Order: sequence, then structure tokens, then C-alpha cells
Amino acid sequence: MDLIRAALQDAVLGQDFLTWLWSRSERNGWLFKAKDGAEFNLYLEQRMSVRGGSGDSVEKAVVTGPHAEFTEAKLGLRNGKRVDKALVRFERDGQTWTVLVSSDDFGLGSLKTPKIETHLEEGDDPDAPFLEKMLLIENCLDLLDELYRQFLELRLSPDWNGELRAFKEWLAER
Amino acid sequence: MGILSASGSFTRYAIVEEVTGQIVSELPERLVKFAFRDIDDTADERSFGWVCLDDWLDARFRAAPPEKAHYLGFSLRLDTRRISPAVLKKHLILALKAEKEALRDQGKNFLTKERKNEIKDQVRLKLMARALPIPAVTDVVWNLRSNRVLLASTNSKLRNLFEDHFTMSFGLNLEPLTPYFLARRLVDKAQWTKLDDLEPSPFAG
Repeated sequence: MDLIRAALQDAVLGQDFLTWLWSRSERNGWLFKAKDGAEFNLYLEQRMSVRGGSGDSVEKAVVTGPHAEFTEAKLGLRNGKRVDKALVRFERDGQTWTVLVSSDDFGLGSLKTPKIETHLEEGDDPDAPFLEKMLLIENCLDLLDELYRQFLELRLSPDWNGELRAFKEWLAER
Repeated sequence: MGILSASGSFTRYAIVEEVTGQIVSELPERLVKFAFRDIDDTADERSFGWVCLDDWLDARFRAAPPEKAHYLGFSLRLDTRRISPAVLKKHLILALKAEKEALRDQGKNFLTKERKNEIKDQVRLKLMARALPIPAVTDVVWNLRSNRVLLASTNSKLRNLFEDHFTMSFGLNLEPLTPYFLARRLVDKAQWTKLDDLEPSPFAG
């Protein structure tokens, strides 16, 4: 494991991903495709932080609010900051997941899955709530991985320049 | 933190080595071998190890087996004794006063640095034995099909402790699925050098 290389590139990749995801979700009408071709919605909402600079001159702006439009965060992007943490909401087949994703290490905070049935009837498998919960957590991780895979495909291809142009147009709006 | 909680924080890992059938068959035994050991009756500062996912007071996995379909579920229990700095300071002052009085009675008035440190260690040990260990339990789920592991915490100290104890217990290393390591698992090997050389994108222009 090349931990030094990882430490250097984690923030580059993680921040590029979350920054792209914000713009891409708005440009896509919040619609994405999962690995199996099924569509799902993704929203970045309520909580986001943007970060810029390095070493002692790191600056961070945290924007929160139940219906935050992230105007301040977008201003931060215009000043060269990048998305550092974002609360992501997935919606698929009427089910909702939310998770706070950190760009530096992809730590997953406050992950909420759709509700599970914890009340057991006689004869039910005692592990049923655990297995249902794991399935729902892994569903969320699969969606996140698929988005990251789609990002990497673009990021490592010549199409990334076109994506950056579209990003700048989006950034200039409002 | 419990896996079944309405809201949880998680760190993801992939197991680096190949997990053979032999290792899988030994997992329950290894969990018990590296299980949590109680320190209620000692003066130890901390203790950690595996406990049952369904009952964190059970370090023998009698309440429920760790195998749950294609998952292995268990918890990491960490008990820590803490002494408030203010309490330590108070008892140290008292002990030093008593020592100085004893010295004065012997016609001496100088306390060496070594003796001071010795007294500090004694006071700490005495208070430690009186403090009750504070338990903390963090769930772990190992998907035996994908060999991905989920730790229900993002705390860096706990992550380090977990990674070391996991390797010690099972002889397997964990790769944290951070942006860089996850990317290496999602793209072709031929693209790896590109990942190494990426610079932050000029989003603002």
C-alpha cells in the first residue's frame, strides 16, 4: 500500500468528485443511472462545506440550512475553493438514503437508510433486521461507487475538458 | 455505534490478501481468541477486543454466532479508564505535601525529581484502580462474498486500533477505501499512473 501517494491523491480525487457531483446533478436534472441501468435521483442538500488553500492558509466555509441553495458555497467555488464535504440524498423506487460524504477519506457520516422492520414475530429469522439493514447500506454504497466510477471514467478521459467547460457555464449562472 | 441505529457513521475497507476457505473456517475461533478481556478488577488503563454483535457483554459469542448469512458480524469493545486532570492534580498535591512533611520529620527538605515522578506514578495507579472503565462498542461487518469490511465509526484513533487488532486477529491487512484506493479498484490497471499524476481540476478557470 502506497500510503504517502494515497494521502496526496485522496484530497485531489475526493474534492474533484464532490465538486463535479454537485454541478453534474444540477445539470442532469438530478437524474443518474445505476449499474443495472435503473434510474435514481441524487441531491446535494442541507449541508456542504467548501475548502481552499493549503497548509496554514486553509480556508473553509460551511453552509447549512434546511433549504440551502448554497449561494455562499458557489461563491467559494468561484474563488477557487472545492467541495470538501457534502450531504448527499439518494432516491430510488420511493426509498431515500442520506449520507454525509467527506472528500479526504470518503468517510461516511450520518448515513440514514430507509426504515427497517425491527419487530420480530415468532418464527422470524432473528438476523432478519440485520440482513435488511446491510442490504440497504450496501445499496447506498453501490450507488456511490457507481457515481464515482462514472466520474473517474470522465476524469481520466479527454472528455474531461468538455466537462470542465460545462462546469464553468454552470458556475457562472445565478 | 450500532449497525441497526437509524443513523450511523462508517469507514469502508477491502481486505488486501486472498481470504482462503481455511481462514474463513477459523474466523469464529479467532474472534474468541482475540476477544475482549474485562478490566473491572484490575488497574489497567484500557482493554479492547471482539464481542458479540447482538450482546456486547458477551465475549464468548454464546448469545449469537457471528455468522449471519454471508456476513460476519461482531463488535469491537474498548474499555478505558480516565482520570480527570483536576482530580490527578489534587491528589498529587496532597501526596507531595504528605511526602514533604515526612521528609521534614527526618530533618530533610529536598524532594528529588525521581521521587516526585515515582509519587506521580503511584497516585495515578491508585486513582486508576478506583476509576470504573468506560465501555465503548463499535460494530464491524465483514461481507464474506466481497471481502469488504464496514466499521461503524469514522474516528481516526478508533480506526487505527481496529485496523491493528484486525490484522493481529486474522493475519489479514485492511486497505481503507479512500478516494485513491477505491479509484484503483474501479479503473483498469493501465490507468493507475494517471491516478498518481492527477492535479486538482481548475474548476474556477
